Amino acid sequence: MTAAAPQPLITLRDAVRTFPTAAGTFTALDGVSLSIARGAFAVVIGQSGSGKSTLLSLLSGVDRPTRGDVVVGDTAVHALPERAITAWRGRNVGIVFQFFQLLPTLTAAENVMLPMDFCDRWPGAERRARAMVLLDRLGVADQADKLPATLSGGQQQRVAIARALANDPAVLLADEPTGNLDSKTAVQILDLFAALAREGQTVVMVTHDMAARNRATHTIALADGKVADDDHGRSHA
Amino acid sequence: MRNLRVLKVWRDVRLHGARTALVIVAIAIGIAGAGSVLDTWALLRRVTVEGFLGTNPPSATLRMDAVTAPVLAAVRAMPELRAAESRRTVMGTVTSDSTARTAMLFVSADIATHTIGRVAGDSGTWPPPDRAFVIEHSSANFANVHPGGTVSLRLGEGAPLMLPVTGMARDGTLPPGWMEHVVYGFVTPATIVALGGDSTPNELRIVVREHADDRDAIRRVAARVRVVAEGAGARVRDVVVPVPGRHEHQAQMDSLLYTQGAFGLLLLLLSGFLVVNLVTGMLAGQQREIGIMKTLGASPEQLTVMYLGLSLGLGLVACIVAIPLAAVIGRAYAQFSASMLNFEVGATPIPRWSFAVQLVAGALLPVLAALVPVRRGCAVSVSESLRDTGLGSAPATAAGRLFGASGLARPLLLSLRNAFRKRERMVLTLLTLATGGAVFLGALNLRASIRDSVSTLYEDELRYQLSVRFEQRHEGAALVALAMSEPGVEHAEAWSGARAAVVGDDSLPRSAFVVTALPADTRLVSFPASAGRWLAASDSEGMVVTPRLLEDEPALQLGARVQLLIAGKARTWRVVGIVGAGPSAGAYVTRGALARATGDSSAGAVALRLTPMSAAAQADFIQRIRARYEAANLLVSSTNLVQAGRGALEDHLLMVASFLGLMSQLMIIVGGLGLASTMSLGVLERTREIGVLRAIGARHGAILTMIQVEGLVVTLLGWALAIPLSLPMSVILERAFARIMFEVPVTLVPDAFGVVAWLGVVLVVSFVACLWPALRAMRITTAAALAYE
Ligand SMILES: Nc1ncnc2c1ncn2[C@@H]1O[C@H](COP(=O)(O)OP(=O)(O)OP(=O)(O)O)[C@@H](O)[C@H]1O
Ligand SMILES: [Mg+2]
Repeated sequence: MTAAAPQPLITLRDAVRTFPTAAGTFTALDGVSLSIARGAFAVVIGQSGSGKSTLLSLLSGVDRPTRGDVVVGDTAVHALPERAITAWRGRNVGIVFQFFQLLPTLTAAENVMLPMDFCDRWPGAERRARAMVLLDRLGVADQADKLPATLSGGQQQRVAIARALANDPAVLLADEPTGNLDSKTAVQILDLFAALAREGQTVVMVTHDMAARNRATHTIALADGKVADDDHGRSHA
Repeated sequence: MRNLRVLKVWRDVRLHGARTALVIVAIAIGIAGAGSVLDTWALLRRVTVEGFLGTNPPSATLRMDAVTAPVLAAVRAMPELRAAESRRTVMGTVTSDSTARTAMLFVSADIATHTIGRVAGDSGTWPPPDRAFVIEHSSANFANVHPGGTVSLRLGEGAPLMLPVTGMARDGTLPPGWMEHVVYGFVTPATIVALGGDSTPNELRIVVREHADDRDAIRRVAARVRVVAEGAGARVRDVVVPVPGRHEHQAQMDSLLYTQGAFGLLLLLLSGFLVVNLVTGMLAGQQREIGIMKTLGASPEQLTVMYLGLSLGLGLVACIVAIPLAAVIGRAYAQFSASMLNFEVGATPIPRWSFAVQLVAGALLPVLAALVPVRRGCAVSVSESLRDTGLGSAPATAAGRLFGASGLARPLLLSLRNAFRKRERMVLTLLTLATGGAVFLGALNLRASIRDSVSTLYEDELRYQLSVRFEQRHEGAALVALAMSEPGVEHAEAWSGARAAVVGDDSLPRSAFVVTALPADTRLVSFPASAGRWLAASDSEGMVVTPRLLEDEPALQLGARVQLLIAGKARTWRVVGIVGAGPSAGAYVTRGALARATGDSSAGAVALRLTPMSAAAQADFIQRIRARYEAANLLVSSTNLVQAGRGALEDHLLMVASFLGLMSQLMIIVGGLGLASTMSLGVLERTREIGVLRAIGARHGAILTMIQVEGLVVTLLGWALAIPLSLPMSVILERAFARIMFEVPVTLVPDAFGVVAWLGVVLVVSFVACLWPALRAMRITTAAALAYE
């Protein structure tokens, strides 16, 4: 293990998450402590059921730790009331899912504009232009006025990433974003994340993809809810 | 459509067109049902209150031998009175269609300028010209007397005159002629003189200046008027002080409206249930999208506003359909109800507040219904709403259950289990169906009760077919002897009658009522006593009263000893029984007792039981018996066939049951829509399961059966549940009806026809409601099902 990066954006201290189950309390995360630097491209790896998605949920405030602290920037996410979390998340976190999760009745551009609408970021008149910039950046500007169902998987995922970036969040969280894509498209998405991180965006990505590890600046390996390996070593390739 | 959130909601609505339409229909039915009741109520209030008060009804009416000019002048000088007017009311005989009927004629030289109890010309001439007849609106149809026709009019023993019917007028203070079996008409004093009658006014109508809405205050003023009139030489026969400001039948009308209002609200509530179901289902379908929007920063408030806004929009659209529909139904029903009180709805506009209430209710109903599901749906945590909900139980097990066992029991079990997977939803559907069914059965019971009591009245209680009234009173035995000698008469009795009024402690004048005197051992009526007993020969002061009379004169309790003023003599009577005698108000005593009270043992009418004969033969018989009496110098004033009133009475009573039947049908439709929506939501939620069933070889038939059996299970439960529920419903309906019209026997056990009809309704509802969901389930392909998220 090498020394921590100088400017941690994300800090977890002794985070524990347990679930009550029929068979008793199940510990999904067991005292996880780690920090992720601003501008890092971090990947979280580990076997199925090791707690990767649970970790990401804690970072986005979608879920709360049973014990321990989750700090993003200067916000103690674990202590925010529910109401405040939503507003905080909308402005500070972009989330990309494995199954894209675009709203089916809105076009690509409208999907991208939606977070701006909810968080009232940018004047109404500028939102579409900003959405088009983002879509263009992701190479799907020509798909802007199509409904998600008419897009390919890769296109849908790009639109989803554009949407995650809509409010210019400090952190981009992605749970197996390439899990449903062919390998060529997956590589393109990875390139994109790497580029975003180089530009100062902090990216945390859960993946099973070995190729991703090579592009990352920070690799966190989970096993049975514990941090098995925490490698801050690489700088941007 | 600038706003993105509005845009999303709008596109979702278009995507789920059928379900959206269902929500709109559900709200529209509720609003149309409740709204039509409200419109009826608002219109009737306006028409009856404005119509009745618009006539400037008399505070009191004093009947006297003659209201001479000095009497009128003396009364008019009284400071307590705002106005006093006189007219003559005279009984006569109107013959049209060769049927003689009792006529009540209103005679005044200046009837058109009268300000008390104003009569409004309706068509033809008004006021009546000399030697012409103007018919009152509520008598026209039953007597078949219309402007343009002619009638034969006779007063007492005078010669009849053929008079042209030159017009029709409406008197909003009169109880409807068709109900009272009286032909009301207006003629001039000259016409009365031509008929050989006396045209001196005999009725004094007054309006008090102060406390016009206090019956006792009016009674006190009326008592002073009586003193003044008698001081000026008049002889006052009786004084009628009606309940101020209220039409004689207003209480009935109010009960009718309140009962209907209760059912309108029930219907609204049931359609509210359906909306709850639909909105819950709609939100269940949106759960994942709600979760996504939350990850994008949507606050629960923003989401709540989106979905409540949608509900509001659907409610407003439903109002566009429902409010005009309610206006049409409400107007038609108000027209019918108003005619019962002798009012015309005509073009009277429905008050705006009624529309406003409907609009607010229509907008709020879906919002209120959606409040709980929306709040719940929007409060679900993000992680929960994003988790794959797995679409119910494991499909493999379900498949095992469907195909693993043979026989019908297994699929039935599966259907039951499926039906109640979403328990709340199914229970609401079930309750809606069962309530609709209970009202349906209750309305059928009420209908049967009404038919029963009408036929009891006309077949068991009134055991005579014809009554003949005479101009003069005669010795009873002579009247009976002549009748008995005429072929076709099985039994005849001489009856007499008098007007009586209770003498209160305060000796203030009270309204008079009719006392009918008949032989103690009468064989021509048999009224069951609801309390006490019927008359006995020894009852020298005993009398029995009808519940309707008891309502107006609470002093006439069973066992009460009361002073009655009959023919100017006060005498003590004792109430020995209360008998249900149809919708009429009155009292019965023995002829002996009345003779002792009045000193007059003669009779004014005979009642005849005829041998069975056709209607045509009855008409011939009436001509013959009339001729025989008149040949014997016993002048007949009118003949009344008992059955003549039956049809009109039954029709009007049954309208009430029909209205409730309509309500129950709407409730059943709401229940059916609930079932359809519940089933199609179930199919939607089980898309994957059904796809898996298809993948492992389930045929169309198996899936179709599964859906139809599931629907059948629910509707059959609704069918069964409605049967016990119909018991209290019948009691409620029949109690309400008793308040509105008259006591009907309470029928608790739904008749077999009703139960079978309800089963038929349920089967049809089940089949139709499940058709669309079943077709959808059949269209699910394995591929589509597995792609469904
Ligand atoms: N809401 C929950 N209730 C109970 N147990 C849960 C819940 N969420 C997660 N778990 C359990 O916690 C453990 C970690 O789950 P998590 O989803 O984080 O795993 P993962 O590493 O993302 O796995 P995968 O690679 O399969 O996505 C699993 O054993 C899972 O069953
Ligand atoms: Mg996971």
